[in-house]
Amino acid sequence: MTVSDRVTRLRTQSLNISPSLSTERAELMTAFYRQDAGMVSIPVRRALAFQYLMAHKTICILDDELIVGEKGPAPKATPTYPELCCHSLEDLDILNSRDKIPFAVSPEARKTYQEDIIPFWNGKSMRELIFREMSDEWKAAYDAGIFTEFMEQRAPGHTVLGDKIYRRGFLDFKREIEMHLKALDYLDDPNAYDRRQELEAMSICVDAMIAFSHRYAEKARLLARQETRPERKAELMQIADICLKAPSHAPETFHEALQYYWFVHLGVTTELNTWDAFDPGRLDQHLLPFYRKGIEDGSLTRDKAEELLQCFWIKFNNQPAPPKVGITAAESATYTDFAQINVGGLTPEGADGVNEVSFLLLDVIESMRLLQPSSSIQVSKKNPDRFIKRATEIIRTGFGQPSVFNADAIVQELIRQGKSIEDARSGGSSGCVEVGAFGKENYNLTGYFNMPKVFEITLNNGIDPRTGKKIGVETGDPKTFACMDELMAAYVQQMRHFINIKIQGNNVIERLYANWMPAPFLSLLIDDCMARGRDYHNGGARYNSTYIQGVGLGSLTDMATAVQYHVFDRRTLSMKALLQALSTDFSGYENLRLMLTHKTPRYGNDDDYADDMMKALFEAYFQAIDGRPNTKNGVYHINLLPTTCHVYFGSVTGATPDGRHAGLPLSEGISPVQGADRQGPTAVLKSAAKMDHIRTGGTLLNQKFTPQLLKNDADLDKLVQLIRSYFRLDGHHIQFNVADAETLKAAQQHPEQHRDLIVRVAGYSDYFCDLTPALQDEIIARTAHTSF
Amino acid sequence: MHTDIAICKHCGLCTDACPVEASEIAGKTMTVAQVITEIEKDILFFDESSGGVTFSGGEPLYQPDFLGELLETCQVQGIHTALDTSGFSRWEVINRVRKHVDLFLYDLKLMDDEKHRRFTGVSNRVILDNLRELSSRNHHIRIRFPVIPGITDDQDNVTAIATFVASLPSAPDVDILPYHGSGSAKYEGIGSSYSLPDLRPPSDADMARIAACFQEKKLNVTSGG
Repeated sequence: MTVSDRVTRLRTQSLNISPSLSTERAELMTAFYRQDAGMVSIPVRRALAFQYLMAHKTICILDDELIVGEKGPAPKATPTYPELCCHSLEDLDILNSRDKIPFAVSPEARKTYQEDIIPFWNGKSMRELIFREMSDEWKAAYDAGIFTEFMEQRAPGHTVLGDKIYRRGFLDFKREIEMHLKALDYLDDPNAYDRRQELEAMSICVDAMIAFSHRYAEKARLLARQETRPERKAELMQIADICLKAPSHAPETFHEALQYYWFVHLGVTTELNTWDAFDPGRLDQHLLPFYRKGIEDGSLTRDKAEELLQCFWIKFNNQPAPPKVGITAAESATYTDFAQINVGGLTPEGADGVNEVSFLLLDVIESMRLLQPSSSIQVSKKNPDRFIKRATEIIRTGFGQPSVFNADAIVQELIRQGKSIEDARSGGSSGCVEVGAFGKENYNLTGYFNMPKVFEITLNNGIDPRTGKKIGVETGDPKTFACMDELMAAYVQQMRHFINIKIQGNNVIERLYANWMPAPFLSLLIDDCMARGRDYHNGGARYNSTYIQGVGLGSLTDMATAVQYHVFDRRTLSMKALLQALSTDFSGYENLRLMLTHKTPRYGNDDDYADDMMKALFEAYFQAIDGRPNTKNGVYHINLLPTTCHVYFGSVTGATPDGRHAGLPLSEGISPVQGADRQGPTAVLKSAAKMDHIRTGGTLLNQKFTPQLLKNDADLDKLVQLIRSYFRLDGHHIQFNVADAETLKAAQQHPEQHRDLIVRVAGYSDYFCDLTPALQDEIIARTAHTSF
Repeated sequence: MHTDIAICKHCGLCTDACPVEASEIAGKTMTVAQVITEIEKDILFFDESSGGVTFSGGEPLYQPDFLGELLETCQVQGIHTALDTSGFSRWEVINRVRKHVDLFLYDLKLMDDEKHRRFTGVSNRVILDNLRELSSRNHHIRIRFPVIPGITDDQDNVTAIATFVASLPSAPDVDILPYHGSGSAKYEGIGSSYSLPDLRPPSDADMARIAACFQEKKLNVTSGG
């Protein structure tokens, strides 16, 4: 593992620059849309807008750089997308001043928005269009925090690139488009004209990208002429040559492949603010041929390849996620734009996909230690243990990367959804934990769904107790229910009601994007948009999935289990008394609250009483969603992940029967409620594996450890075994948070929130909160020595 | 709330009433079948790690019938069994269960019998005899030597233990275990005072010195275990 001075400088620069809001894209977009477009179709107009952006945006080549190109005019100068979601002056002021995740907004930028951007886009953005088109009941549910809406300020993206750019250049794409245009059948294909519009739009985007890369070549050549240091001069000349060739023609070298991808990344993220940025996916598979060829012919060394990858990594870190507005800002407070580079897994033929580039990428992840890009290992039973073990060495350094995925489960999940076996094996995970057939699928996440809130509304017969408004259906007064089955039936009815509202909204929003915001550049890259002459947003991809992400399964399970156990099974608590206690947030009912928390079987302990409830609730969610049609010739699936939405959803959910106070966060992912699991990590894995992961498109499980737990080589072997065990049970994903001293101090202050924290004591492990204060102090002291 | 352990009848009413589980009854009555059900929950992890179940204590040999049945059931099911024991037991008891034990984790603390009586309350003779018997019957044994500063870590004791282990027919491997104070909370919990409140764990250098004594006798030694 080596880090050159160059990389150290670039990395430090990337870390030190504060994110700011750039108005460049907004200004260009406004200038373009002010022009009279004449009689052009919407796909062509969007392509012309893209061409205008790529022709005028600032070209940025920084000293030391080997991979070039920025989304904004400079690193972390973050563009905005007023045609999708136009920031108000109030939004800009909040962005500029908030404590967490701020974006600097200069007085000039504010003025530009005030005088130019806002007046033009007011009333014209997609966000406004979407809210205009939603029904009153949709708005009521949205305002109540039943679900969120991903598309209200970012465009559908949720896709990852496959391998085609490594085999073909944009000029090849151009020829392909011409071939498809010639083959259009205006006699028997009634959609031939629409296809022509799409294909012509794609063709304009090819030209736009090539021209953009040539602008970079020109700039590099100019800088080279001015450069006095001979080494840098040579580098700039090489960059100029690569930029002339890279996206136009298929890459031939490692360096060309990386620069080509980066241009494509800039194109996708400039065209629209697609969700989950964009990412190269299975990078070790894609780069292997270039790496081997370079090593063989002597044009590349491992160190050189590593340096190029490090420069590539820094490029991702220079691009914060687009600044958000409204609820989305609260629900997803992070600069991360969820590009997730996959390492390992299977080859398309189904063989062990771990190769020398896999280990090289792990070295880069460790040495760069950056927020972006995110990274994951894809673990197949065919992969060697030493690969997983190398990843665990990085995991124990405690920055949450790489996360760990079950490649064999992902293949099964994708095949269940109808993908071909080759496409499934070429897929992987992206964003947080979502599965996709890379290069061939639009797998659109549409919003989080607050399952515990729906249970709360069920307990209140359709009324949201927070506002007193009736937003659900009347499913009966729970005080009249004779058994748990009645309550479950009421919950399922209530949930289906809200899922239906969400899907009705999605069906409109999908069409709005298909009609008004086609993405011809992205459509170039994802098969089979070109062959079908259909846009990415309009069913052009080979596979089209729509997701609604369930949040709070652990909380929901414990809530329902508590009611079943105390009210219906043991009959030690009346529904009336429970509802009374909930309505007062347990004020005056502390003993009842503690009993609900501590004397109830809970999910996460390998206890079938609670875990069977979890399975039933999982099944209800699955049945309400999976297989229902979307507007893109595809169907709905479920996944279970929260990002940080469990905090927002908790804030709108009152006291719950698992003893949780109103407003506190819900459980995250498929993890147990914070502190509910008391039987160790193996019991959590057993509980979590009782749901059928294979019928989801992703689940998220978090485990927390301290560095001591992973101190020795033998400890890492055990972690590898733990991963293998969970994956034998078809678990989808697991990530390990290695807690630092700060977390331990917080656990000492608030043990109830850190019940699940496991620490290495002395040759054995224990729950941190169960140790004596003196021993806790000792471990905190030790942790301070070993954390980074 | 405070429990006076001296007059406590262990009826458990307080633990039922306490909503935060601040007091608990340590241990519970279980049948062999119930224990096996718990063990079976972890079979997957045993398979993956070549692990198994360890019976420890207290002293598991004090419940010989229950232990024997559990060990035998595990063995029938192919679950690896380890017995963590002080060795202080009649040979007949060990002899009854030993064929179902795949691995003995056998404690040796002090070789000097007088000191052994002083710190543990009993002679070490039967412990050493039982160990020799097991070793001569080719059982898989790991010696567990706790390094307690000021009590077991003097050179004489370490040398004597190393010499004894090396003299056993199977010359078993040794784990040397650094003292830790994490048991102190249990003493508090049962209303008893902890007799070594100020004792610190041994230093890495002490551990290395002790490991070297065992290595000199050509024994395999692991620190920590």
